[in-house]
Amino acid sequence: MRAYVALVWAVARKDLLVEFRTYERLTAMGAFTVLVGVLFNFSIDSAVVRPQDIGAALIWMTIIFGGILGMGRTFRLEEEDGALAGILQSPIPLDALFLGKVLGNFVLLSMMAALVFFVFGLFFSLSFSGNPVVLVAIVGFGVLGFVSLTTLFSAMATRSSMGESLLPVLVFPLLVPLVVYGATATQRLFAGRPVVEVSGNVRMLAAFAVLFTVAGAWLFRFVIEE
Amino acid sequence: MSHKQTRWAIGILGTLGVATMIVLHWMVFFWVPTESTMGIVQRIFYIHPAAWWVAFLGFGIVGLCSAVYLWLGDERLDRAAVAGAEAGMVFTTIGLITGPLWGQVAWGTWWEWEPRLTLALILWFIYLGYFLVRRTTANPEQGKRFAAVVGVIGVLDIPLIHVSVTWLRSLHPEAVILNPESPMNLERSMGLTFGVGFLAFTLIFACLFLASYTVAGYEYELKLRDANPGGTQRAEA
Repeated sequence: MRAYVALVWAVARKDLLVEFRTYERLTAMGAFTVLVGVLFNFSIDSAVVRPQDIGAALIWMTIIFGGILGMGRTFRLEEEDGALAGILQSPIPLDALFLGKVLGNFVLLSMMAALVFFVFGLFFSLSFSGNPVVLVAIVGFGVLGFVSLTTLFSAMATRSSMGESLLPVLVFPLLVPLVVYGATATQRLFAGRPVVEVSGNVRMLAAFAVLFTVAGAWLFRFVIEE
Repeated sequence: MSHKQTRWAIGILGTLGVATMIVLHWMVFFWVPTESTMGIVQRIFYIHPAAWWVAFLGFGIVGLCSAVYLWLGDERLDRAAVAGAEAGMVFTTIGLITGPLWGQVAWGTWWEWEPRLTLALILWFIYLGYFLVRRTTANPEQGKRFAAVVGVIGVLDIPLIHVSVTWLRSLHPEAVILNPESPMNLERSMGLTFGVGFLAFTLIFACLFLASYTVAGYEYELKLRDANPGGTQRAEA
């Protein structure tokens, strides 16, 4: 078990090391987040709609759009350098490779999600007086479910002639439960509703995350092999 | 089943399907009485749920055959999954057209974010993804595996999508006919028309499914023949 976890960590560490040396994906996702916040600000007529009312919904859409931007490049490096053949020849189980990729993406997207909350809170004067632990659980499970699905499908998109533009077509229809439970729970917490109103959402988000992490780990072998 | 028998089966299913469909339309437009509360628009119900039944049947076939294809790697299962997806997409489109037609009269709007209609739209896009990933992958063998993975993930996600959109909102009429506690007593002629509708759509679905499966089998055989011009290798259709 410890050896397995070490393998998962080795893959995630490699991805994170590469990222923190180049900052390619983080820069793209970070800039996207801030610029989307700026554009949303100009797209809302505050005489008609209060930005605070739709802030939480905009946060979730930005996490998903920005996430797609970054997750689409999960396997780009391996494909370009032919490094994937080397990884596949190494004695690492393919599910551990998948979980390592998911872990690396989870860390990156969690950082982006934190930035989204900070930037949108600042731009739209969102005040949060709810339970921060529940909010972290909602975003954490949401991000985990999202990266599990996108990591699996980005391996396909990389090998498709449509490239990364295929990823939203494949992933967006499947994200409906995540958006429904994640965005509504966040909106309720921002509106000061009690935690009991969102506990069901947290359970459903956890179920979504666990289901697609497990399914992804099993199905990944059919996606990655030549 | 030999090629000749398969062609006969497709012909018989197609003929029966088209004949039943013509009878169904005669019954819907000229025979069955108009329902008292919903009025004439209720007649779309003889077509709409039947289209859904086969659309979901198609998706069930895609999910099941995709999962077993990934497990066993049998080409025939992949062909069955594609045939199910093709036929399923046709009937999902029919359901997506007939639903809003009814909604415009009953709800006063063409589109309503109602759970079953939402699920249908998402199902259509999952089918689209299934075909896109298959056709845009350079390596056809890989494309088959990718499509199968989309099929399995789609089937796993469908219950969650259904639960989530139902939780969010529900305006759709409840199942009044199959619901045992329903106060609605379906008149015999209406029940018969309903049954003929389900039969017609199932026959047409079976015909399309078998035709698509058989054509894919021929294509596979041709590819094998091109790859081994002198060989006698023959695939099972």
